[in-house]
Amino acid sequence: MSRSRDVGEAITRPSLSIPGRVGLTLLVLFGLLPIYWLIATAITRKEDVFSLDRPLFPVNPTLENFVGFFQNDALLKSLVNSVIVSSGTALLAVIVGGFMAYSLSKFRYRGRNAMMFMFLIGQLIPGALLLISLYLMLSSAGLLYTYTALIISFTTFTLPLVVFLLKGIMDALPDDILEAAKVDGLSRIGTMFRIVFPLVVPGIITAAMFAFMRGWSDLLFALTLAGPDKQTLPAGLTQAFIREGTADWPALMAASLVTSLPLVIIFIILQRYFVSGLASGAVKG
Amino acid sequence: MQQATLDRPATSERVEPRSGRRSTLGAKDRTFGFMIALPAVLLFLVIAIYPLVSSIGTSLYDQSLLRPERTFVGFGNYTSIFGEFAERLGTTLVFSSLSTIFPLILGVALAILLNARIRGRTILRGALMLPWLLPGVVVSFLWAWIFNDSYGVLNHLLSMVGLPEVSMLGNPAGAMAAVVIAKTWHSFPWIMVVALAVLQTLPSEQIEAATIDGATRSQRFRYISLPHIVGPVTLVAVLEFIYNFGNFDTIFVMTGGGPGDSTTTLALSLYQLAFGSYELGKASAMGVLWLVLLAIISSGYLFLNRRLEK
Repeated sequence: MSRSRDVGEAITRPSLSIPGRVGLTLLVLFGLLPIYWLIATAITRKEDVFSLDRPLFPVNPTLENFVGFFQNDALLKSLVNSVIVSSGTALLAVIVGGFMAYSLSKFRYRGRNAMMFMFLIGQLIPGALLLISLYLMLSSAGLLYTYTALIISFTTFTLPLVVFLLKGIMDALPDDILEAAKVDGLSRIGTMFRIVFPLVVPGIITAAMFAFMRGWSDLLFALTLAGPDKQTLPAGLTQAFIREGTADWPALMAASLVTSLPLVIIFIILQRYFVSGLASGAVKG
Repeated sequence: MQQATLDRPATSERVEPRSGRRSTLGAKDRTFGFMIALPAVLLFLVIAIYPLVSSIGTSLYDQSLLRPERTFVGFGNYTSIFGEFAERLGTTLVFSSLSTIFPLILGVALAILLNARIRGRTILRGALMLPWLLPGVVVSFLWAWIFNDSYGVLNHLLSMVGLPEVSMLGNPAGAMAAVVIAKTWHSFPWIMVVALAVLQTLPSEQIEAATIDGATRSQRFRYISLPHIVGPVTLVAVLEFIYNFGNFDTIFVMTGGGPGDSTTTLALSLYQLAFGSYELGKASAMGVLWLVLLAIISSGYLFLNRRLEK
């Protein structure tokens, strides 16, 4: 093990010992090999997967499984539903949550702490507990099997996270800025839209991403509230591959990849915002 | 999907810096502040709080999705499902404890290792976020495929190196292990990110000073770094536990609660009662008992929160 001369750097960021390197390698393999297997299976022909020697590398790579996905009307419809529901959720959560965060961050009024407490606890309520009542409620409101039902449900479930994330960032905005806006004669709403929100754009983007992911990934509510017509991809996948008891693993892995790709792309594009948003909002040093 | 916010509520009002603005909040400002909070609060009351309350009502009736009318049965539902509840609670506790402990160990270990000076740190950190990004359904299908008895890659690799094959999803212990492994793989990146963010805030001057005073590396870790990490990581662990407690997708997709009912957790049981047997009353009773339990756990969480306020 070579000790660096640069004492400060060496202490706060020591180099890794041999056992450390071995441990890191094992952990990284556990983290990344399944991803490799997901991709490898998706580009393997069905007959190769079930052949006797079952290659560990895709020997005759193919795109047939992806073509199959885009020829499957039910799955395509689920994809469209997912895009609509998740975008709607992201938009609504950021608007409603942004207002709430600004309110909690910069205003004092009676009931403020009660609201904060409610949201904190609300974070802990598992979806399954709300399932039956929500189903009955939406059914009597005539909203069952609609996009609206899914969007308002997912928005509500992401609100606590969105609110606390944005509030954490807004807390750091100096009050003098708001004072100055007031003195300059900007209305309260103007201050919010033209001063506060533009200053917390990275946080808003991070929050929108979380909300989008929530809508995109949820299974329980997609299964029960969406109905066959409006169901999102997770429900679509379980319907297509569990219900029919198919063993077409390459097709399933290709469909899984298509389901995952938007989230990965969003994450790569927004990674910079994501990390800074997370660091400033969710983890208080 | 799981994330947690570690923002602590002002349960005991923090001392705010005295700024002119705070004291000059006019009545109009106050009204405005209250008004902009309303949409979120109303949404929350209608979609999250009201259903909780009304499920208490539903739990007192014999109600089915198949019949329009319902009959009042008082605590009948509770007595008939209590045994089942206790059993499912045991399963849920096993699943959620294991699915919290393993990602915690993995995530913190990775954060510490990735904090060292190694090449490709940033790339690795980004790549290791991938499992967390995937939807739960995808994670579950992927691991179900890896663990597949006849064609899964795990058994393929085992037989290649001459080890006996394992049947994971075919037996109770194996099925539980399988869902825990899948959940661990899905959750560790999140904990890693939190732990890394905490490590960025370590007091480096303190650590350097301790070194100059002759503290060994393990002492530095134990007395300076560790106390610094414990607070936020404990909070994430508590939240992680509560999320896992309500986990539905991993188990639904991988085992459907089986074999037998060995992996049937509370969430799955509630879903099956409500949408499999259409027993809304019994399912609601199950939910209310769960809610009571959650209230107890949440109090613990708030207590921790307050203690870590410092």
